[in-house]
Amino acid sequence: MREDWLRNDRLPHIYCAGCGNGTIMNCVLEAVDKAGYERDNTVFLSGIGCSSRAPGYIETDSLHTTHGRALAFATGVKMAKPSLNVVVFTGDGDIAAIGGNHFIHACRRNIDLTVVCMNNHIYGMTGGQGSPTTPIGKTSTTTPYGAVEVPFDLVDLAVAAGANYVARWTSYHVTQLTEAVLNGLNTPGFSLIEVRCQCPTSYGRRNKFREPKDYMDFLRSHAVLKEKWERTAKPGEELPAESFLVGEFVRRARPVMGVADET
Amino acid sequence: MQGNIASAEGALAAGCNFFAGYPITPSTEIAEHMAARLPKRKGACFIQMEDEIASMAAIIGAAWTGARAMTATSGPGFSLMMENIGYAVMSETPCVIVNVQRGGPSTGQPTMAAQGDMMQVRFGSHGDYSIIALCPSSVQECFDLTAKAFNLADQFRTPVFLMADEVIGHMRERIDLPDEVMVIRPRPLPEGVLPFTPVDNGVPGFASFGTGRRIPVTGLTHNEQGYPDTTNPARHESLVRRLVSKIEDARHEIADFQVVNEDAAFIFVCYGAPVRTVQEVVDRRRVPDTGYLKLRIVWPFPEKLLQRFTNVRAFIVPEMNLGMISREIERHVQVPVIPIGKIGGELHTPEELIEAVHFAGGDA
Amino acid sequence: MKLEIDESRCKGCNLCTMVCPYRIYRQGNRPNRRGIYVPELDRPERCANCRLQELYGRRLCGICALICPDQAIRWVKEKPYEPMNVVIEY
Repeated sequence: MREDWLRNDRLPHIYCAGCGNGTIMNCVLEAVDKAGYERDNTVFLSGIGCSSRAPGYIETDSLHTTHGRALAFATGVKMAKPSLNVVVFTGDGDIAAIGGNHFIHACRRNIDLTVVCMNNHIYGMTGGQGSPTTPIGKTSTTTPYGAVEVPFDLVDLAVAAGANYVARWTSYHVTQLTEAVLNGLNTPGFSLIEVRCQCPTSYGRRNKFREPKDYMDFLRSHAVLKEKWERTAKPGEELPAESFLVGEFVRRARPVMGVADET
Repeated sequence: MQGNIASAEGALAAGCNFFAGYPITPSTEIAEHMAARLPKRKGACFIQMEDEIASMAAIIGAAWTGARAMTATSGPGFSLMMENIGYAVMSETPCVIVNVQRGGPSTGQPTMAAQGDMMQVRFGSHGDYSIIALCPSSVQECFDLTAKAFNLADQFRTPVFLMADEVIGHMRERIDLPDEVMVIRPRPLPEGVLPFTPVDNGVPGFASFGTGRRIPVTGLTHNEQGYPDTTNPARHESLVRRLVSKIEDARHEIADFQVVNEDAAFIFVCYGAPVRTVQEVVDRRRVPDTGYLKLRIVWPFPEKLLQRFTNVRAFIVPEMNLGMISREIERHVQVPVIPIGKIGGELHTPEELIEAVHFAGGDA
Repeated sequence: MKLEIDESRCKGCNLCTMVCPYRIYRQGNRPNRRGIYVPELDRPERCANCRLQELYGRRLCGICALICPDQAIRWVKEKPYEPMNVVIEY
């Protein structure tokens, strides 16, 4: 049962009302439970930010580390003791900005980790500053006239850097997300599951998604299934504005590190 | 054997089974030697990380799985590690960091010796904390002190630093390799005791990941359970005071030093490479009325040691920086303290030290 | 099985009201002790999981519990249904 994995004495958690991170935590715990992991041989790691508070609510060994470094810590844990199952919660600021180097190198090494990136397009905990994934034109406290930088595509980055399993879903697609995390856990090597999620307090408030439901509607209407798009798109056709592909992007068997020997 | 290799051998003898590093002159030989030796050990791992930040992070992660973890670096990499050194202090992670010091600031002199990181190692990360720093002055001590560093790290649950320098790291000397070195592992976390409750002189017991204790480790101010509690001033104060006092209170107990000519009027206080020049002046040339205090553990600073020199007229402190430990000594004594800071990468000459004795009023 | 909202955890984001295919959750209109408008249940016996979980032996649907960011929605076991003894007299 998913409830068994929670530290009930610490709930309710610090997330704002309608925050997508809680949903993602549910889906990951559901997947971890389905994968048959034990609480005593699973470790959750995280960096800094809203997303990174999640391991503190899970009743396992957990490391809540420094900003952006979660993947480097996870490398140490997994390489030193490959029998542990290691899951990393991270945010877009963590993985795309300050921890970008650790991210591409963890993908390159293809260490057996499952990384769930809660991408809310903003630095939520510090009050809504723009992040490397803030879409062009969106408002934040550090992009008051609209973001002008081109955002990172984390999925493309992970595929190019060599991860074994890469998928993208949203906090609206809970069953597909659970399935993707489960696939990530079962795939040896580096798995990245990017989850687009809502931040009604910092992102929504400034970008006309004041209610959590509004952003859920946006996620539902702008998420384009990758397989469907590949089937139906005319040659050269581009995705409609603000839309993004969801689905499984890569599943392959490149050489991996940190897998426990069967012997 | 070379100092850096001796350091790696000392770590291996102490049971080091995880090394994460990033190449940097003049510490590279340690990583190279570990890369050759560790993969042949069962359950051991060598990994070359993408930078020093990641190296430090990886050894903390490995230490929490119960590994004896180590990294080696030099000044510029040491600066990068500061962030996660603070994390290791706050989360009370035992680990060993070797810093083969070179001339700074910035890239400075990659192939020349210095002792310019002696204050950075003590105060480099933000916030109040205390650490243990050892200084070898010979190849034999590189071996012995590295092995000892692992024991101190486990005993006090803190990062421990081996502050070597380029001269010691690249020096070649004959050493005696003991058949066995003493190994002290961390006190186990007793059943039913919370993971951050101090059990012995402010040090909590240690349980590694995967042993069923389900420890939440965080760099935030936390309570005994490990849960973040950041807005309670009393909690923060008691936690940080404990982190500092568990090391500072033990400073005389763990002090490791050598005293020669205790009754002399002019006492050299030295650590690291300058010890060799001091030994030349005092032990071989036998300059009258001189003696020395050689510190193997510099931080926490054992200030009571200075009181044993009852005849002292001046302390002379040769260092390969512009006066770092000399200031620490000045805080504790009434007699004059004469710093002899030498930077540029070369050792002090005996003549320079003798001149300092003259300056202090000696008739050497 | 019975559907239950944990009022001590719910933060009133109303995400459950948008995902339930049966529209069992309705926006609440009275603040509770903590000032939160906890959604109300509209005829929760219609919930597929409540009705059929024991029959199928696994959880069905469950989208509301998965999407609830505050882990406030769960199912509790009810007392097993006891068939009454009805004596039919001719």
